[in-house]
Amino acid sequence: MMQHFPVLAVMLLFLSAFIVEIFGAKSKAVAQGIAMIAATVSAGLIYALIKPVMIDGQIISYWMGNWAPVEEYAIGIGYEVDALSLFFALLVVTTFWLSGLYSIGYMNKDHHLGHYYTLYLMLSGSVLGLVMTGDIFNLFVMVEIMTFASVALTAFRNFSEGALEGAFKYLVIGSMGSSFTLTGIALLYAECHTLNMAQIASILAGGLSPTAIAAFGLIIAGFGVKSYMVPFHTPAADAYTVAPTSISMIFSGMVNKAGVYGMIRMIYIVFRAMDKGTVQQMLAIFGAVTMFLGVTMALAQHEFKRLLAFHSISQIGYVITAVSLGSALGLTGGLFHAMNHTLFKGLLFLTAGAVLKQVGTTNLDKLGGLSKRMPHTTICFLVGAGAISGLPPFNGFASKWIIYQAIYTKAVESGKFVYVLCTICALVVSVMTLASFIKVTQAVFFGQLRKEHENVTEAPFSMRLPMYIMALLCTASGVFYDFVNKYLLHPAANAALNISKYIDAMMGPGYAANARVSDMSVEPVAFSYWNPIIWLVLFGVLFIGAALVILGGRNERGQILSSSDPSQAKYDTFFSGEKEMYSQVGGSDLFWGFKSNWKGYYKFMEAIHSGIVNDYASMAVVGTAVICLCMFLFMR
Amino acid sequence: MEILKSIFYILVFPGALFTMVAGLWLAGVDRKVIAKMQKRIGPPILQPTYDFFKLMGKETIVPRVANRLVFLGAPVIGFISLAIIMLFIPIFGFTAFSGSADLIVILYLITISGVALIVGGSSSGSPYAGIGISREMVTMMSYELPFVIILLTVAKKVGGADLVFSMDAIGAWQRANGSLLFQWSMIPAALAMLLVIPAEVGVQPFDVAEAETEICEGPLIEYSGAALGVFKLNTAMKMIIMTGLFTSLFLGGFTTGIVALDVLIFVAICTVLTLLCMTTIHAVTARLKIEHLFRFYWTFVAGLAMASLILVWCGL
Repeated sequence: MMQHFPVLAVMLLFLSAFIVEIFGAKSKAVAQGIAMIAATVSAGLIYALIKPVMIDGQIISYWMGNWAPVEEYAIGIGYEVDALSLFFALLVVTTFWLSGLYSIGYMNKDHHLGHYYTLYLMLSGSVLGLVMTGDIFNLFVMVEIMTFASVALTAFRNFSEGALEGAFKYLVIGSMGSSFTLTGIALLYAECHTLNMAQIASILAGGLSPTAIAAFGLIIAGFGVKSYMVPFHTPAADAYTVAPTSISMIFSGMVNKAGVYGMIRMIYIVFRAMDKGTVQQMLAIFGAVTMFLGVTMALAQHEFKRLLAFHSISQIGYVITAVSLGSALGLTGGLFHAMNHTLFKGLLFLTAGAVLKQVGTTNLDKLGGLSKRMPHTTICFLVGAGAISGLPPFNGFASKWIIYQAIYTKAVESGKFVYVLCTICALVVSVMTLASFIKVTQAVFFGQLRKEHENVTEAPFSMRLPMYIMALLCTASGVFYDFVNKYLLHPAANAALNISKYIDAMMGPGYAANARVSDMSVEPVAFSYWNPIIWLVLFGVLFIGAALVILGGRNERGQILSSSDPSQAKYDTFFSGEKEMYSQVGGSDLFWGFKSNWKGYYKFMEAIHSGIVNDYASMAVVGTAVICLCMFLFMR
Repeated sequence: MEILKSIFYILVFPGALFTMVAGLWLAGVDRKVIAKMQKRIGPPILQPTYDFFKLMGKETIVPRVANRLVFLGAPVIGFISLAIIMLFIPIFGFTAFSGSADLIVILYLITISGVALIVGGSSSGSPYAGIGISREMVTMMSYELPFVIILLTVAKKVGGADLVFSMDAIGAWQRANGSLLFQWSMIPAALAMLLVIPAEVGVQPFDVAEAETEICEGPLIEYSGAALGVFKLNTAMKMIIMTGLFTSLFLGGFTTGIVALDVLIFVAICTVLTLLCMTTIHAVTARLKIEHLFRFYWTFVAGLAMASLILVWCGL
């Protein structure tokens, strides 16, 4: 029974996509209903797999149409769910379920919701299929469906400025990525005569031939495009900005995770190249450049969603660097950060969407003072900002903390100075992340409220509920990281490092042993930076302290001093006689002390991000060439 | 029992109460000595303490535009994060709590106190606070780079591969090999750390964020009463934490065996460090501009730290 769940979850989403198109074109409610039911059932099916896969350590394999291997050659399409696949599948279902919930409130003013939900379900189904398939060509098919659903959704609000442009850039760069992947897969097929990843892994276990190395380079570049690694990051900023926010959340929550998943699957399982120094260093450098470039570009943005898009790029840099280290600690940290990125970036996009929906703009220079009007959104945003900046006790801290240790341990062990630079980069990028979120906080939620935004109200409950859930998850996975590690991260990391079980589950017992696949046994990564008792006490103290300070705002008669009375001048903010409207510091003018020192760098960045898709395409080609060259020159 | 012990650690020693008392002591000494340097009599050493209690009794005004929860919650969050840091800093032989890689925890907890100031100031809606938080954030970015490099240097110097970023390992190494300050390759890093301390605490010439004379204390402009008192206390607590961190990183390794005596020596060393890197610099310099501050830290101080890191990396 259990082995049907993965394929049912994927098929349900694809089938409902067509059903929505047939029955939901006329009525919004029908379209929403079908989409939500499909998303909920599919999420339920995946969640039901936690116990057998994560806790009992089973691997679920499924041959489509029961086309089992013939004479030890896999000929059918196989689905195979090990802990690594399930880990990403859980991220995917959580993201699209919350996004669907959010869409109900967020998309209610849009037209053609039938199309929206069709594409939404296609996108969800494709990413879910991508992370669970065991067949490399099926993987490519899912990548293609994902890319084209994403392109269409980017252009969904095609009446708004830049939507078509963003979609076009995405289309060009995304298709390049898909072609790289396809070329790689074709080479691999020529080399191994099979498309089953488990079988390819066992065939390649004997050593990588030049063809396999070329395939490896191309596939890594292809998934680099999907995860927006620098220099393939260019379409991300436009796409995230112009897509409806519920879709931006899906992009950052699962579409670029699909790229990360592909990389991990290829490096650790199919090619077993994680202990090759070249691959490690190359990807670590790419990751470090990605995180640095993403965050410095984010610091210069004037647009809330675009800023978040560059942060997505930057955070994926952390994941890539951590994953590339090839150690259990690095993999654990990388997976944890991927999960946390899904949670906090989703949360941040949802708050941005709430602002866009309630106010009508996300331009940082035209917003301000919304904290009084949208208090719940503000608190959720602060949780998300704390998490992405890596402040304890939120989840971003726990994962970054593992990543720093992993990189520096690697530096000390291997004695390579480049890892020291990566560590410094990771730590400094973290504080820059904080800086750019301070900028958003000041420009959107604090500061002075603008006259035209006097009547802004809080977002409806159906939009706030996903935010609450995500804020809660951000805090919970930060505080109970031990639990997360035990039940999600360790099984997933273990699955990536021990592949004989993966091969045996697909190809029959004993197959891996014949092919002499080497496993790395891993201990659960033990880490502790606080013990729960201390923090329970801490929260008690926090509570009492906050209560004391809040009580401090009362007068002698015990009333909370009212500040709504406009005649009471002492509650005014001090402007030293200047008119309020002339005295504000614009959100994007913050940090000129920093930017004036970095003029040259920003000029260079401006020249690179020209907005011309030809430039971006050539950047992608150069990036791919560099990756392939590195592999060829140094790996043999 | 475990819980009672934790409560004692957090609330009394070496957590909240100890940090408060020691911090206010350092702040008092700082003011007194600076007055002497400027040929004034200066306030009594307990003046910051009096100020704190006076502020606690005053009316706390929350501006009309401020989000009440954030405005009043920020100082408390800052206070708590600072009180927790002291648990991770070993006082010679004595550590209240040690986790793996607690150096990173300390780094981020210090950041939280800065963020509390920024978010609180930002929520007041004042343009002065707007300028103040921008400068505070740039200051933070400035000292973060050298600070990070210093921590990496220390970690590499003492580190086996399995124990990176651990205060325990640093203490143990120093007990075995003598204080890190007496390793000549660590001297540039120690100098850099001495320059990071005043920026972290925010004393002249690095007090651009709270420049009283130009932007009226920046983030603190709208604060009054208890909330202001807590912020002032936070600044004082940062003095003991930063000097304490220097002591543990570079001057650890000996112990008298009696905790009380160790603590006295610890506070004495912190006082000397305060006089050295905060009071003296404060008395003889004028305030920098923010872009100069940034450049100074990313070139000169980071360069010092980097020199140390490279020396240590070469095995010296």
